[in-house]
Amino acid sequence: MTFFTIVVRSLVRRPVRTGLTLVGISIGIAAVVALVGMAWGYEKSIVRQLDVIGIDVVVSNMSGGLMPKVFDESLEEKIAPLPKVAATTSVLMQMLSIEDAPMMMISGREWGGFTWDKISVIEGRLPHNATERAVVIGRLAAEVLKKKPGDTVQIEADELPVVGIIDGQAVVENGAIILSLNVLQEITLNEGKVNFVDIRVTPGTTKQEVTALCDSIKEIFPEGRAMVASEVVGTSQGFRVARAMSWSTSLLAIIVGVLGVMNTMLMTVFERTHEIGILLAVGWKRRRIMLMVLLESALLGLLGGVLGVALGALGLKILETTPAIRGLLEPDLSPRLLLISIAIAVVVGVISGLYPGWRSSRLSPSLALHG
Amino acid sequence: MIAPPTSQTGDIVFEARQLAKEFDGGQVAALRGVDFQIREHEFVAIVGPSGCGKSTLLQMLGSLDHPTSGSLTYRGASIPGMPDPSAYRAHHIGFVFQAFHLLPTFNVVENVQIPMFEGGLSRTQRRERAVDLLKSVGLDHRLGHFPSQLSGGERQRVAIARSLANRPSVLLADEPTGNLDSENAVHVMELILKLHRELGMTLILVTHDPSIAAQASRTIRMKDGRVVPADSPHP
Ligand SMILES: Nc1ncnc2c1ncn2[C@@H]1O[C@H](COP(=O)(O)OP(=O)(O)O)[C@@H](O)[C@H]1O
Ligand SMILES: [Mg+2]
Repeated sequence: MTFFTIVVRSLVRRPVRTGLTLVGISIGIAAVVALVGMAWGYEKSIVRQLDVIGIDVVVSNMSGGLMPKVFDESLEEKIAPLPKVAATTSVLMQMLSIEDAPMMMISGREWGGFTWDKISVIEGRLPHNATERAVVIGRLAAEVLKKKPGDTVQIEADELPVVGIIDGQAVVENGAIILSLNVLQEITLNEGKVNFVDIRVTPGTTKQEVTALCDSIKEIFPEGRAMVASEVVGTSQGFRVARAMSWSTSLLAIIVGVLGVMNTMLMTVFERTHEIGILLAVGWKRRRIMLMVLLESALLGLLGGVLGVALGALGLKILETTPAIRGLLEPDLSPRLLLISIAIAVVVGVISGLYPGWRSSRLSPSLALHG
Repeated sequence: MIAPPTSQTGDIVFEARQLAKEFDGGQVAALRGVDFQIREHEFVAIVGPSGCGKSTLLQMLGSLDHPTSGSLTYRGASIPGMPDPSAYRAHHIGFVFQAFHLLPTFNVVENVQIPMFEGGLSRTQRRERAVDLLKSVGLDHRLGHFPSQLSGGERQRVAIARSLANRPSVLLADEPTGNLDSENAVHVMELILKLHRELGMTLILVTHDPSIAAQASRTIRMKDGRVVPADSPHP
C-alpha cells in the first residue's frame, strides 16, 4: 500500500459522488476545449487562407463589427505606387445569413485581382467578367447550402445564379461565396466601397521594408491600419473579441467546476472527520492530511480533465459537421490546447482542495475521535 | 523532536504537575490539578468512576489535546510545548482505544501500515513489518479482511498491532477490553501484558476491571478530576 493507494481508495469508495463530480468538471473542461478550440481554429483558418492566396499585407479599417467598416475603393490606387508593392487588389467581405446557413462569408473580389488566382473550378465555371451577376461557391459552402451549378442563391434581396463550385485550398475559401466585387457592391448597396485592400510585396522584400510599407500606408489612411498577414489574427478586433469571449465563458465553466469540486471535497472531509482524527492520533502530520485531501482533489481534476478533453474533442468533431460551423472554421484540436485544458483541470482540482484540505488539517484529534 | 533523557530524569517517562483541563470555557473541569510520575517499564493502571477524567488524562499524555494549565513532560520535555506533536504520537506513543478506531475502508494489513507512512520504511518493508506484527497478535491469517469482517477481539488485536507500528516506548490503552466479552477481554489483556513484558514498553492502562488493575505494578486512583492519594481508604 502506498500513500497514493489511500488517496485513490477514498475516491473509489464513493463511486456515485466521484462520478458526478467528474461529470461536472469534465463538462466544464469540455466547454473550454470547444470554445477555445473554435476561437483558435477560426484564427488558424484565416491565417491559412491569407497564406494560400499569397497575401502579404492586409489593409482595413480599425473599427467595425464582425467585419471591418467599409472605406472608399480609391485607396488601392494610392497604395499601388508605394515601394515594394508588387500587386494590390480590393475586396468587399461580408458575413451574411444565407438561406439555411446562419453565417457565411461573402467575398466580393476585384475582377482580375490575384485573389482569384488560386481558385480552381471543380464543377461549372468562374464568372465571365466583372459585371456578370453570378457567384461561385466553395465546396464546403456548396454542401451546406446544397447547391450545384444551375441553382440560384439568395443574397440579401437578390437571387443570383450559381455558376461554379470551387476549391480554394483553405477552409475559409471553401466555405465562402465568391463573386465579383462590383456585383457585391451593388447588391449590398456599397457602391464604390470596399473593406480590404490585399497587398503582395515584391519577392525578396525584408521584414523591415514590409514594416516601412505598413507605416507609409498608415500615413495615407490614418483611420485604418496595415498589417503583415501573419499578424492579422493577433491584432484584429474580431479575433480579440472571439478570444476574450471564449476565455471568459471558459472561466465561468472553470469557476463552476471549482465550486463543484470544493463542495465534494468539503463533504468528503466532513464525513471523514473521525477517520482524520484516527490518522492524526496515529501520528500523521497535519501536512500529510492536507496533502492527502489536495491529491485527492487534484486527481479528481486530472480525471475530469482527461474526460473533459475527450468530451470537448468529440463535441468539436460533431460541431465541425454542423451547417452553422462547417466551412467557417476548422476547430483547432492542437495538443497544446488539450494539455492546457488538462492543466487547467488539475489546477481547478488543487484550488478546490485547498480550503477543504486546510479545514481537515486543523481538526483536533481528540474531538475528531469522539465524533 | 524529543530531547534525549537527561541524567536527572533518566527513568521518569511522564511527570505531571498540577495538570488541569477544562472544557467548554471552564464549564467542565475534567482534570483539577493532577500530579504523578511514571517511570520507564512500569505498568500503571488508572482506575476511577466514569467521567473522572481518565480518558482526558490519557489524551494529554498522547498529545491529542492540550492541558489548560499545569505542566506535563515526556522524558523531561514539555508535551504541550512540543514543536512536532505528530512525530511524538507517531514514534513514541502507541494508542489503543476502547472503540478500536480502525479505518473501515482498509483491510487488516493496510490498517497496521497506516502509521508507518511517518517512518522511513519502503513499501515492501512496511508490508513485511505489518505482517510480522499481525503474526505476533495471531492474526496473520486475516490480512485481507476488513474490520467489519472481524470480531471485537480481533479488531482490538489489529489495533494493538497498529499501535506498535513505529516501535513506540509507551503504550497508552484506554479501556481496551471495555467493548469485549470476557473471553476476548482475557485474550486481549494477555496480549497486552505479553507485549509489556517482552518489549519492555511502559504501559498505562485505563480499566474498570479490578482483576486487571491487580496485575499492574501500580494503580493511580482518580476521582472528580483528581488523583486519590494512595494512603486514603478505598471506597
Ligand atoms: N471534548 C469534551 N468537551 C466537553 N467535555 C468533555 C470533553 N471530553 C470530556 N469531557 C468531560 O470531561 C469529564 C471527564 O471525561 P473523561 O476523561 O472522558 O472521563 P473518563 O474517561 O474517566 O470516563 C467528563 O465530565 C466529560 O463529560
Ligand atoms: Mg473514558
